Amino acid sequence: MNTISIELNVNGRDWQLSVAPNEMLLNVLRERLHYTGTKYGCGIGECSACTVLMDDTPVLSCQILAVQCVGKKIVTIEGLAEGQESHPMQDAFIEEGAVQCGFCTPAMVLTAAALVKEKPDPENQDIRDALRGNFCRCTGYVKILKAVQSGARKMRELS
Amino acid sequence: MYENYQFVGKDYPRKEGKARVSGKEKYPSDLSFDHMLYGRILRSPYAHARIKSIDFTEARKMGAVCISYEDAPDQFFNVRLVSIPSATYKDWTIFSDHMRQVGDFYGAVAAETEELAEKAARAVRVEWEVLPSYLTMEDAMAASENLIHEKVYLHDKEVIIRNNIACTREVVEGDIEEGFKQADVIIEETFETPRQYHCQLETKTCVVRPEPEGGITVWPTTQAVHNTRILLGKVFTIPLNKVNVVRVPGGGHFGSGIHTNPVALITTALALKANRTVKISLSREEDMYDHVRYPSKYTLKVGARRDGTLTAGHMKAYIDIGCHHVQALAFLGVMSGFWHSLYRMESMKYEGTAVYTNKVPTCAMQGYGAPQVTFGVESMMDMLAEKLGMDPIALRIQNYVGLGEIFWGQGPTIKSKIFSDGVVELIEKGAERIKYYELKKQEKGSGRYRKGIGFARGFHTSGTGAPMPGEVKDYTTAQVKVNEDGSIDILTALMDQGGGTLDAAAKIVAEEFQVSFDKVGISPADSRSTGYDVCTHATRGVYCGAGAVHEVAKETKKILFDYASRMLDTYPGSLELIYEEDTGETRISVVGNPERTATIAEVADHAMNKDWGTAIFSKSIRKTACPPAYTNYFVEVEVDTHTGHVRILRVVAGSDAGTVINPDLARGQMHGGFYRSAGMVLLENTQHDGSTGELTNKASLLDYKMMGIDEMPDEDNFEVIFASTYEPTGPLGAKGVGEAAFNSAPPAIASAICDAIGVRFTKLPISPEDILEAIGEKKL
Repeated sequence: MNTISIELNVNGRDWQLSVAPNEMLLNVLRERLHYTGTKYGCGIGECSACTVLMDDTPVLSCQILAVQCVGKKIVTIEGLAEGQESHPMQDAFIEEGAVQCGFCTPAMVLTAAALVKEKPDPENQDIRDALRGNFCRCTGYVKILKAVQSGARKMRELS
Repeated sequence: MYENYQFVGKDYPRKEGKARVSGKEKYPSDLSFDHMLYGRILRSPYAHARIKSIDFTEARKMGAVCISYEDAPDQFFNVRLVSIPSATYKDWTIFSDHMRQVGDFYGAVAAETEELAEKAARAVRVEWEVLPSYLTMEDAMAASENLIHEKVYLHDKEVIIRNNIACTREVVEGDIEEGFKQADVIIEETFETPRQYHCQLETKTCVVRPEPEGGITVWPTTQAVHNTRILLGKVFTIPLNKVNVVRVPGGGHFGSGIHTNPVALITTALALKANRTVKISLSREEDMYDHVRYPSKYTLKVGARRDGTLTAGHMKAYIDIGCHHVQALAFLGVMSGFWHSLYRMESMKYEGTAVYTNKVPTCAMQGYGAPQVTFGVESMMDMLAEKLGMDPIALRIQNYVGLGEIFWGQGPTIKSKIFSDGVVELIEKGAERIKYYELKKQEKGSGRYRKGIGFARGFHTSGTGAPMPGEVKDYTTAQVKVNEDGSIDILTALMDQGGGTLDAAAKIVAEEFQVSFDKVGISPADSRSTGYDVCTHATRGVYCGAGAVHEVAKETKKILFDYASRMLDTYPGSLELIYEEDTGETRISVVGNPERTATIAEVADHAMNKDWGTAIFSKSIRKTACPPAYTNYFVEVEVDTHTGHVRILRVVAGSDAGTVINPDLARGQMHGGFYRSAGMVLLENTQHDGSTGELTNKASLLDYKMMGIDEMPDEDNFEVIFASTYEPTGPLGAKGVGEAAFNSAPPAIASAICDAIGVRFTKLPISPEDILEAIGEKKL
């Protein structure tokens, strides 16, 4: 198949890549760049385990072509802390016991961090709206809701 | 009771937390190795068919490595090795020319890229002979030819299958005819529970690397590294010391990893043929055709005297197990046991029949028979109370199997005495917290939204140990080692599926040695470096698994004390451990002589330099009891009589886990258990098209609806109460939580719906359509 040469900005770094025109961002992130914190859960945009941030907005990397991401800033869970030891939302998820098997966690944390950046003091309903599409099969979401509130508090304190 | 503990009962950030929030945790699907091939599985489009011929010519031209039933080992086995051999039916081979469900597998291909493997798979040509398929139990049992299995094996004995009946089980205690004669009231009802899909977020995956000396290294999605090792060694005739199965965290299991997932066998077959590392990761669609919860359909008849004593019970169950045995005999047994252990009955008879159909093979999912049985039995206790004019809670307290009585932890062969029982405490506290009796009396009104309150109780076993060996294996091997800096390592094949099992083990060891939690580490584990651990299932993680670690830790401590006594020139019996909170150090001191002291680090280092040795110990431990981990739920719901939609407003959950090692993680278990059970009650089921045998949701998550964050209450409306019990046979008084978190919730939710609209549903899930239809009939 023909390939296209593109430059992708992922986690603050530019990558020169040769991709197929139909190659999904998810595959490029996981298989080429080895950012395996971005998970495959369904491949059809239903579970949101593959969520990454594109210019600060959560997007489903299994539904986006790699070639659509040229000129955008992609952040995966590996880049969320921006060189710090951790992002406050990551700390909150650990402290509140919102992590069980952990497979959905990167997507949850990224989506929550993006919400709070946009809306620093979210109501529970805002969190529910933001995470409505993110599947977690372990926690029953109770601790996740609490962790996002706690992460929001931490982010407000730092800003 | 927790004041005596330094670490147990306190919350610490879980050990895997950092890896999991940062994306650094590696799950099987994240692994890749140099020169690795990708595999794709060849699957049947038909529900029931035989393969006449298979042609790999085009696939081979693409350079694919191809394998089929023609060149893979053909011995019979069962993918689940938890039961002893004499109780294990074997009807699996790696591949077969007899396809028994849509998605059944007859071969596999491997190629340099996943895309090429997919292309090669599509190029394989097959000539089919389509057979009549059986997609209901009734059709299956009416069949006398073209059976789904003709012969299977029970251990090594050939068993001829008739009418697609996989196996049956009968359990009788006392005389039910006499029992029903004694009854003043008899009620009978049929209950049905659905084929709930596990939907663990990581699809089943395996990576297998052939090793130069002839063995293999395996990275599977599994709850049981040792059983995977034993099965792969047996099927592929590899010496067991050359099969190394690595413990890798899985992205959820919920029971679907107790058995060795077929993908592990298929990947191994390909890797051995290619003599290259091979990885297969199932698509979500394939995963939905791979495993599903046992459904149930049973008639329950109960007799009671006017004073509420139960004189007789008769349960007749039919279980549609799909196209393979994942030990349905064990499932039939636990149904009888969990029923038997809910309420005292003067006589009981259980008749279970497992029926093959051309559907997805059924296996364990959280609760393993208990949710199925508890739904019917608890619903019936409500109905009985109504008939007797008794308070449903009082009726339960009068009859429940509790302290001093015998509990069947795993069917009729695993029985043990009950030593701790928080049932009444949890019921009383829960009723008070949610204001059960006030809500019960409330008028339901005639508006669009009707509120209702429901209650139910239940339990799960904590493991499958008992004073006598039974049909189920249960032990864990562990090693505990003190390092020269005073830190401690735990080595065991015990799995943590996210619930905090290994954190609990570490906390118990921290408590035993009085060292801070962060000084206790969990070593990476694989099957070659560890002794056998049966599996993390049956809510045995903390009680049996961490319990074994605790027993071993005590032995390691004896060795450490022996070294310390030599160093401090005293007797081991005169030593005590003192944790210094300010320095974080732990000292071993002579009782009453605080100046005669050394830190654990100093003792361990001294022992090493004196060539005395390392304080290290390893042993296999079986628990000789299986305490019930009781739970109950009070649930308030709101039913929208216009749409049939049910909203969960408030939950008060009770858990009798004995000593609660990780309170916050245990609360998380209750939240998660309730969430999955509410899904089973309100939404989740997988159905097969009656003519094609395909899943009607097309194996797509778009059409397998589960509850989301919007449907669950927040923590202010989801209270968890722990009983103040101490389990004398458990590690520091602990028993289980896990599956118990699920089991009692379904009848509580159904009971709340009944309270709201006056309709008792006996079939799950209760869809909005079912509710609207019932409302229409009642003209509410």
